[in-house]
Amino acid sequence: MFYLKVLEITSLYTILVLGVYLMTGLTGLFSLGQGAFVSIGAYTAAIAYMNFGAPFPLALALAVIIGAILGFLVGIPTLRLRRDYFLLVTFCLSEMVRAALLYLSQLTGGALGMAGMPKRVGLPLILGSIVVITFITYSLKRSRFGRDCIAIRDDELAASMMGINVYAHKIKVFMISSAITAYGGALYAFNILFIEPNLFNWLESAKLIIITFVGGLNSIAGVIIASTIYYSFGEFFRFIDVWRDVLLAVVVVLVIIFRPGGLLQGLELLPSKLRAMRRGR
Amino acid sequence: MEILRVEGISKHFGGVVALEGFSMVQQENQITGIIGPNGAGKTTVFNLITGATPVDHGSILFMDREITKLPAHRRADQGIARTFQNIRLFRNLSVLDNMKVAHDMKVLYTLWEEMLRLPRVGKQERRIDEKARHFLAYLGLERFGDQKPHNLPYGIQRRLELARTLMTEPRILLLDEPAAGLNPHEVRSLMDTIRKIQEDNALTIVIVEHHMELIMNICSLIHVLDFGKKIAEGEPAAIKENEQVLQAYLGEEV
Repeated sequence: MFYLKVLEITSLYTILVLGVYLMTGLTGLFSLGQGAFVSIGAYTAAIAYMNFGAPFPLALALAVIIGAILGFLVGIPTLRLRRDYFLLVTFCLSEMVRAALLYLSQLTGGALGMAGMPKRVGLPLILGSIVVITFITYSLKRSRFGRDCIAIRDDELAASMMGINVYAHKIKVFMISSAITAYGGALYAFNILFIEPNLFNWLESAKLIIITFVGGLNSIAGVIIASTIYYSFGEFFRFIDVWRDVLLAVVVVLVIIFRPGGLLQGLELLPSKLRAMRRGR
Repeated sequence: MEILRVEGISKHFGGVVALEGFSMVQQENQITGIIGPNGAGKTTVFNLITGATPVDHGSILFMDREITKLPAHRRADQGIARTFQNIRLFRNLSVLDNMKVAHDMKVLYTLWEEMLRLPRVGKQERRIDEKARHFLAYLGLERFGDQKPHNLPYGIQRRLELARTLMTEPRILLLDEPAAGLNPHEVRSLMDTIRKIQEDNALTIVIVEHHMELIMNICSLIHVLDFGKKIAEGEPAAIKENEQVLQAYLGEEV
């Protein structure tokens, strides 16, 4: 039972990590506001289901749509700015959403949070979602969209001279990322069954970025592995308390020093690549 | 036929005048040179034409259409391509992907098709792949396809930047110091390459360069800049004799 719980939580977080992969990993945009999208997704789904009697699949879809719309609205004024300003604005966004959820207590239950959702999300749905999201992310990575992301990360000016609409591309990236993150939040609400305004703060957003770097900016497989290790490790080593974070920090520093390209060095674990590797040996 | 008309464009950075009232008319299928001492505003001309920096005053017409206010990526789409003084390839993309990126604005599949990897995506990707390999081979770069650009020798990187511009299906190429850092042998092969590219693709080319041999050899018209102003315009032979040009380069006669 404990292991199942750990696996569920780990997988939920993996969805959130996949949410930032396109944005931080490929495009090099740093957001400290992922918490805002987790909350928006969780609350949208919970409110739609509990207060308005929406069926569960519709509640999930609403979470995704509202997440993408919020991403669009936040992206429009901020993604023209330099990347460091984008980081600051997303940080503020996460605080704003937290405050809004606290004060809109009529709808959100305020600091008491929301409870009483039925458990509609189990491991099969979470793992299935990971497979689908990984497929979408990987499809994007290996064609035009992913190329353009990396080009923008490397050199925005050169990218625009090659005909890429940098601003529009960043907005698309941010919207996709927001939608995935909000979806993760909605799954969270119907798995953990209790949500409150502080459920995902900016430190958690920062962890998503760190995991992306440890896994390797150019490797979805590396990012999934890093996320699985990180979050399951966190659950198993609860007894050593704060030393857990110290230990993880040491691991992160070691990885950055000795494998600056990330765990898998940009390698994707595809059947074809693995076969080629075996043949090489 | 006239392809590009620049009328009195200026650019100031704070109090510094980078370019003041520069005009030029570019005929189709011609190779033109822009020369001048360091800091004369040559690269600024390119930055204004491509939209890398906005114009303060003046206007730019490309194929009889006003593009002065058009964003950079739209100008690229209309057929303005460039290289950079200090090579700007995408470090984290393979040579082949560097080529493909330059063609992505012409891609027809939508984001939704791409997410679900529908057949149309694979089909077009194969076509783009072919095109990229074709232009790599065209400039003798086919064996570097899978490498990362920064692992390649400097001369090859310059060549790759040139190949990449061809992927944008350009009408006009702006080459910013293509001979910088090349040895004399490489410069000569560069001259042949530029001529070949021009003839094969019916292109118009503007070159900013310090290398006089290259400029004098392949350009039919030369503009000379000094301190952000045009001080002369003419055929290579005339420019060589021009008083003002000699003064700008060598200083006043005592």
